[in-house]
Amino acid sequence: MSAPALLRIEFTARAESLSEVRAAVQRTLFAQGVDGRDAARIVLAIDEACANVIRHAYRGCGDGKIDLRIERHRGALRFRLRDRAPAVDPGCVKPRDLSVCRPGGLGINIIDDTMDHWRLRPLKRCAGNVLTMVRRLRARSA
Amino acid sequence: MDKGCELDRDGDWAVLRVWGEVDLSWSQDVRKQVLDAFTRVKSLAVHLDGVSYIDSSGIAALVEGFQHARSKGGRFALLAPSESVRAVLELARLDRVFPIFADLAAARAT
Repeated sequence: MSAPALLRIEFTARAESLSEVRAAVQRTLFAQGVDGRDAARIVLAIDEACANVIRHAYRGCGDGKIDLRIERHRGALRFRLRDRAPAVDPGCVKPRDLSVCRPGGLGINIIDDTMDHWRLRPLKRCAGNVLTMVRRLRARSA
Repeated sequence: MDKGCELDRDGDWAVLRVWGEVDLSWSQDVRKQVLDAFTRVKSLAVHLDGVSYIDSSGIAALVEGFQHARSKGGRFALLAPSESVRAVLELARLDRVFPIFADLAAARAT
């Protein structure tokens, strides 16, 4: 059984949705006692994950939906992002070499650096993709 | 306005002042302003003290500007990045790549 949701929102996969999503995630993090610096970092990682879905999974078109659910479980926050876009190959989604200075492709690095664990999983029968990200709570907020 | 950018000319430099949250919803506008600036001058400084949030698409616009300036023999500088911009630059290890100054005078003096 999953933990109760601290936040559950569904939003349209458009860049214009991101500001409200960031605000909702930040409120949730503050309510869980996450400090400002950590919260800013986590908000950025979630924003990058949503932006990747909008740009790459939905390819920036249509009115696809994204569900974001945040849970607290065993001293960690779990972020679950579900879309209904065509299946994404998880093998193609990995951090890039940051020693090469080029525009773009930083989103996964930010997620990878911020989260303790993350996994992208395409759903069966082309039902979309689920990105699960876990971040352990630091001492003050654990 | 809660977000925007404004381009000014200061001698042989252009200064693009950006403010607000720079995210996917309008980072392409910032990118266009950055690249358009190079049609008038060879050197561009982007003033970032009013930027309260920036994501990787905003950072990408800055990287493009930096690379464009370098390829054309011009200069590119970031001025007074806010704490949140600095945090993302550090995360992307770009704080070691971009020339960062407190103001245009400091950029000119280098």
